[in-house]
Formats: sequence, C-alpha cells, structure tokens
Amino acid sequence: MAQAISRRNFLRGGLATAAGVAASGVVLPQAVRAAGGQELCTVLDLSKCIGCEACVDACRETWQATVPDPVNPMPKPFPSRVPTQDWSKRKDVSDRLTPYNFLYVEHLDFEHKGQALELHVPRRCMHCVNPPCANLCPFGAGRVEKNGIVNIDPDVCLGGAKCKQVCPWHIPQRQSGVGVYLDIMPSYAGNGVMFKCHRCLPLVKQGKQPQCVEVCPEHVQTIGLRPQMLAQAEALARQKAQADGAAPDRWRDYVYGIEENGGTNTVYVSPVPFAVVSAAVNQAHAQAAPGQGKGRAGAGKQGGKRRKAGFAGRPPMGPVNNTMESAENLTAALVLAPLAGLAAGFTRLFGKKQPPSDQPPQEQPPSEQGGQS
Amino acid sequence: MSVMSYSPGGRAARWLYGIATGFALFSGFGQMPIFKRYYLADLPGMAWTANFFITSDIHYLAAALLLGLLAWRLALDARTTGAAWSWGPRSWWGWTLLGLLVISGAAKVLRNLGIYLPPPLIMVLDFTHLGSAMAFMFTGLVVLVKPKPKPNLRGLAG
Ligand code: SF4
Ligand code: SF4
Ligand code: SF4
Repeated sequence: MAQAISRRNFLRGGLATAAGVAASGVVLPQAVRAAGGQELCTVLDLSKCIGCEACVDACRETWQATVPDPVNPMPKPFPSRVPTQDWSKRKDVSDRLTPYNFLYVEHLDFEHKGQALELHVPRRCMHCVNPPCANLCPFGAGRVEKNGIVNIDPDVCLGGAKCKQVCPWHIPQRQSGVGVYLDIMPSYAGNGVMFKCHRCLPLVKQGKQPQCVEVCPEHVQTIGLRPQMLAQAEALARQKAQADGAAPDRWRDYVYGIEENGGTNTVYVSPVPFAVVSAAVNQAHAQAAPGQGKGRAGAGKQGGKRRKAGFAGRPPMGPVNNTMESAENLTAALVLAPLAGLAAGFTRLFGKKQPPSDQPPQEQPPSEQGGQS
Repeated sequence: MSVMSYSPGGRAARWLYGIATGFALFSGFGQMPIFKRYYLADLPGMAWTANFFITSDIHYLAAALLLGLLAWRLALDARTTGAAWSWGPRSWWGWTLLGLLVISGAAKVLRNLGIYLPPPLIMVLDFTHLGSAMAFMFTGLVVLVKPKPKPNLRGLAG
C-alpha cells in the first residue's frame, strides 16, 4: 500500500502550528485578515537581513514533518534512465531548496562601487501572479488560491516535474517514492510528489502569519494586500536608489519580483541594483563545487543538460520574462478564429457548391445545391 | 444514377480539420511529461516536443483553427441546406465530446490569463479535457478503421 500523503496530515501539521502561533498571540494585520480574496504579497527588505536563518529553521520545524518518507524499496521507473530523487536521507540540507526544505538563505559577498558588501537573500517560491507551474499542470495539482498563494496538492501531484521545468526559477523539488502515483502505475507514470513553499497556507487560512515572516528578528518581511505592498516596496526602493546615488526614477532597479515572470507576490528590495545582486548570485552558484558541502549533491537536470551542482535547487535572480505571455497573446487567436469562421459561414465564403473533382458536375441535381445563391 | 451532395470547402476543409485535430491531440498529450520520458523528444528533429511552452502554443493555434472551422460549418449550416460534410463528428457522441473539449478548454484558457477559478473546478476541467480528448481520439480511430458508410444524402449523418 502506498504511503499516501494525507491532506489531513498536512493540515494537521498546520493546525498544530496554528495553535502554537495563536498561543503566541501573533496574528496577521487587520488588512490581511480582511483580505476577502485579494492577493497577499510579501516585501523583503534585504538591507535588514542578517542571515541568521531563523526563518529557515522555523519553516523546517513547521513543515518538514508534513513531507512523508518514501516507500522502501522505491519503485524503479521505466525506462531506467528516468531519475528518482530521494532527499529523505538528507533532510538536514538547508542551503538549497529540497522537498524537505522550502526556504534557504543565499549568503553573498561582493563589491559594489569599490566597497565590499555582504547581502543575505532568503529564497523560496515567488508566488507568481499568473504562475506557469499551476496553470500548466495537466492534472490540477498546481493550485492558485483566492489569496494568491500558489501551492501543490500533494494528494494529486504525480511528480512529473513539469512545474519545475516551466517555473523560471525551477522552484518545486521532487521526492520520489511518495504520493498517489504509487497506487497507479508507479513504474510507468509519475515519479513522486513536488514540494515547495505554500506560504504557510494552513496558517494563513486562519489569519495567521507565515512562520518565516513571524520569527524573523529583524522584521525583514512584511505581508499584506498586494496594492499596499507594492506601494511600500516602491517607497522603500526609492529610498534605496537615493542612498545608492541613483536617480529616484531608477527605483525599479532596486526591486525584484514586481515585473519578473509577469509579476509575483514576493517583492525583494535591495540596497544595490538587482543587476549586481544577480551577478553575485551567479558567481556564488558557479563557485559551489559539485559534490561539496551539504546539499551540493543531487544536481538537477534542466533543458536536457545536467546543471552544475551549485545551481541546482538555488534559483537565479536575473531578469525573467513573463512565461505566460505567449498563451496570453494567443488567446486573441482563440477569440478571433471562431468569429472569422462565423462571418465566413454566414457570408457563405468557401461554402458555394463545388463539383467534386472526382465526379462530373452534371451529376449534381438542382435539388441538392443546398440553396446556393 | 446516384444523387450527389456536396462538401463545402472540399478537400481543403477536410485537410485543415485533420491537421487541426491531429496537432491539437498531439500537443495536448504533450502537456503531460511523457514525450521526453518515452524517447519521442530524442528522435531527430523532435526535441521541441519536450518544450511545454512550444507544445502549448501549438495547442492554442490548433484549437483556434478547429474553432474557426467549426464556427464556419455551423454558420454555413444555418444558411445552407444540403451540405454533406466530409469531416467532423458524425454522431451525437462525437459532438458531445467536442463540446466538452471546447467548454473545458475555454475555461482553462481563462485560467491561463490569470483569472481565478476555484482549484477543485480546475481539477474537474483538467480531467474532463483529458478524458474527452482520449475518448475523442479513440472514437476517431475506430471510425477511421471501420468500413466507410455509403454517402449519406441528408448531410449530417447520425
Ligand atoms: S516561482 Fe515558480 S513555483 Fe513559485 S509560483 Fe512562480 S512559477 Fe510557480
Ligand atoms: S511562507 Fe511558510 S512555507 Fe513558505 S518559506 Fe515561509 S515558512 Fe516556509
Ligand atoms: S529573513 Fe530574518 S530570519 Fe531569515 S535570515 Fe534574514 S534576518 Fe534571519
């Protein structure tokens, strides 16, 4: 019998935590509790982050136990080249995303304008406004909640990892040997379940704060309704731009997440332009030698090429175009094509009687001309 | 001597319908992560089948062509009698499947625009779309291999 991931277990973990949080008396601001279906967004002021990883620990303590252990032995996929991923023996890994670790902190050392700088960047799912991971999931396992939270239903996900492939940051992580695929055709279809940050959905549903927001000693993250959070991010970014000696209208260089992938509900604000942060992130990933350090093993495969181990499970921070843009644009074709068809039909365009090429025209009696004009 | 009816658009319409349904089915099944797993994407010139954004775009274009053809056919049928269509479903079963595909597909398109639909509804839509596509494909295959019926003069045959 497959070790099913019960939604009840998932929620139970959440409820237990919720009880703890409620006891601590921490609740979402009034605006968030009154959200009524509006999207929640977080703003991260990176100049405040000291890299203590209290957020990472809180996330792990709260959610790691909700991710089940795989069956033993794990089904061998067919064909044999299909890789299985098992992080269950490496649950301690916290310096990259894994199925048992939804959040990690990128520690960066770099130079900016001749000064040595240190920056710490908590990384997890961005909760895109129009997320390809959920939209393109063929089985409805990828979900967008009314409050904008993007999560993966562990009871439905088959672990095919399409969500990871279409996510510009390759966020979702697979654990093989768990989930509903074990009850279907484990060797031939599916490969586990994809896991990622669900923005503490069970807690948020009760009006509580996400754990990583709540425990941060420096109050790096704020969460609220999207319009207010965007205004807050802009005001903050204008300050950062000014402090960095840039023109105030360059404030967008100091935010990440407002335009990326068509817009996300996670907005980072940095004291230096994100072009600089992105370069530092890339450099850090390139320097992470394969197979060294905890969590540096298990390189993922992207685009047919095995990615360098330092990049696997560690999202980049460069510009990202809207991955859903093409689908959004092609919607016009879906609207126009039937309209054009109707117009052509009603004007009898291409609808005139044509004698079939293999039949002499005189075989068509007038009664069968179908009212041709 | 047999009395002949006519098929509007002739062979071109039939070909377009075949191309549209063929590409829609192929790109639709390509939305599941199977083409890479089962080596199709490894065949020369087929690497694109593993790119979900390309197969999604093809799916949209094939669906647009199909919708255009069906709309043209419906409008022409409203204006004209006596057309014996040589393409498209021949039974209420085929039309029902096509209807389910269009409705569930339209809802999925709205979702892809970022319009909120309740997640349980999306799951129903996804499985309806997938199930009707498979049924449509198998029905089509059965019709293709079955011996052809005699030309039906009444146009849309049962
Ligand atoms: S960041 Fe990736 S996983 Fe998260 S919502 Fe966006 S597309 Fe989905
Ligand atoms: S929002 Fe919740 S699930 Fe997501 S990283 Fe923070 S603590 Fe983890
Ligand atoms: S976000 Fe807060 S808790 Fe997390 S590493 Fe930074 S300072 Fe620490």
